[in-house]
Amino acid sequence: MKDEIRRYLAIVGKDLRVEFRTREILYTTTLFALLLVVIFAFAFLSDQSKSRIYGPGIVWVTVLFATTVGQNRLFDRERENDCLWSLLLSPAAPSTVFLAKATAQVAFALLMQVPTIVLILVFFDLQITDPLSFVASLALGNVALGLIGTLFAAMLMNARMKEVLLPLVTYPVFVPVVIAGVKVTAVAVGAPVVEDVDTWLRFLAGFDMIFGVVTVALFGRMVRA
Amino acid sequence: MAKGGSGAVGIGYGLTVAAAGMLATAIYAVFLVAPVEATLGISQKIFYFHVGSAINMLLSFAVCAMAGLAYLTVGGARPHWAGIADAVGVATAEVGVTLGAIVLVTGPLWARKAWGTWWTWEPRLTLSLMVFLLFLAYLALRAFAGSDRFGRGVAAGLSILGIPAVYFIHFAVERWGGAHPQVVYKGGLSQPGMRLAFGLSVAAMFLFAAALAWLRILTERERRQLDALYLEVDRRSE
Repeated sequence: MKDEIRRYLAIVGKDLRVEFRTREILYTTTLFALLLVVIFAFAFLSDQSKSRIYGPGIVWVTVLFATTVGQNRLFDRERENDCLWSLLLSPAAPSTVFLAKATAQVAFALLMQVPTIVLILVFFDLQITDPLSFVASLALGNVALGLIGTLFAAMLMNARMKEVLLPLVTYPVFVPVVIAGVKVTAVAVGAPVVEDVDTWLRFLAGFDMIFGVVTVALFGRMVRA
Repeated sequence: MAKGGSGAVGIGYGLTVAAAGMLATAIYAVFLVAPVEATLGISQKIFYFHVGSAINMLLSFAVCAMAGLAYLTVGGARPHWAGIADAVGVATAEVGVTLGAIVLVTGPLWARKAWGTWWTWEPRLTLSLMVFLLFLAYLALRAFAGSDRFGRGVAAGLSILGIPAVYFIHFAVERWGGAHPQVVYKGGLSQPGMRLAFGLSVAAMFLFAAALAWLRILTERERRQLDALYLEVDRRSE
């Protein structure tokens, strides 16, 4: 167990170190997300007073699109020189490799989302009245996106059409996450809705737990199939 | 694999004939035995095919997921069984898409007459749409992610992941409706004639789906045999 944790940290550390030196994923996805926000502003911002209605949707669509772009790049370095197979041949268990890659993915996604969401709040003049549940929904939602996205990004690493296939496969599964995220965010920005925030947060936590177990179990099987 | 092929084809013909007979009986029962519903009128007849397809769509979805599970668990150890599981997976997915298309065409047609609108984000309708989209994604993977072990493995993974996904989607869309008026489902089939027509429709759609799936599995098997023969020719000509 101790060894596995060491290997897990080694793989996460490797990914973060390479990323902070090249800034490939962070720079491109953050810029993409910021551009999305600008586009959304031009598309929707006709009446500032209504921004609380569509603001939550904009937050989550931006998160979803920009995260997908990042997930498509996640295994780029593993593809060269068949690095993923080397990782799987190492003493690390497949589940350790998977969780390490998913952790790195969630870290990149959250780092990208901080400036993006600040920009959304400024551009759309939104006030977060309930920051705790908003942050919780973002964290839980990102874990969900990260687990499923990492699984299929790894499996589609060598597919010719992976850029389109990844969202085709993941978005139907992401639908509950987006619904829950938008609901919690709507309450957090004070939109005129009646929602039970705790139920939605528990829903997201349950989603993370179930899919955590399923994706870890599937990754080991799918790479060996 | 060629051995016992004619028996399998015979079962395919048998299923097709049974499906055709059952469909004819169901149509007879729906239009001539079951009484016309008092409030909805003749448009209620579409319900028999709509719900019959929906039930069998969910069934093919479940079989597809089980085939995926079987494919990933027996995996490389027993290539023969893995091949069968894989063929069952692709066959049930394609049948599921066909049934899903029936559900999503008959649903709006009926909704237009019964509720006055083509589409409502009613939980059951939304769930059918999401299951349909998951099936389409599965087929996209089969078509474009490569027909090798890798492509099949990732498709099988999606079919398994689909089960918890459908559960969570179901919960989320039920609550998502929120303030919208809940459409009360016309559950009570009061007349025995209606219940008979409904049972026959479900059975007919089941046989229809089973016949299609069975024939599709046979086609898939033939395709594999052809591939194997090509490889054999290649090997011998070297």
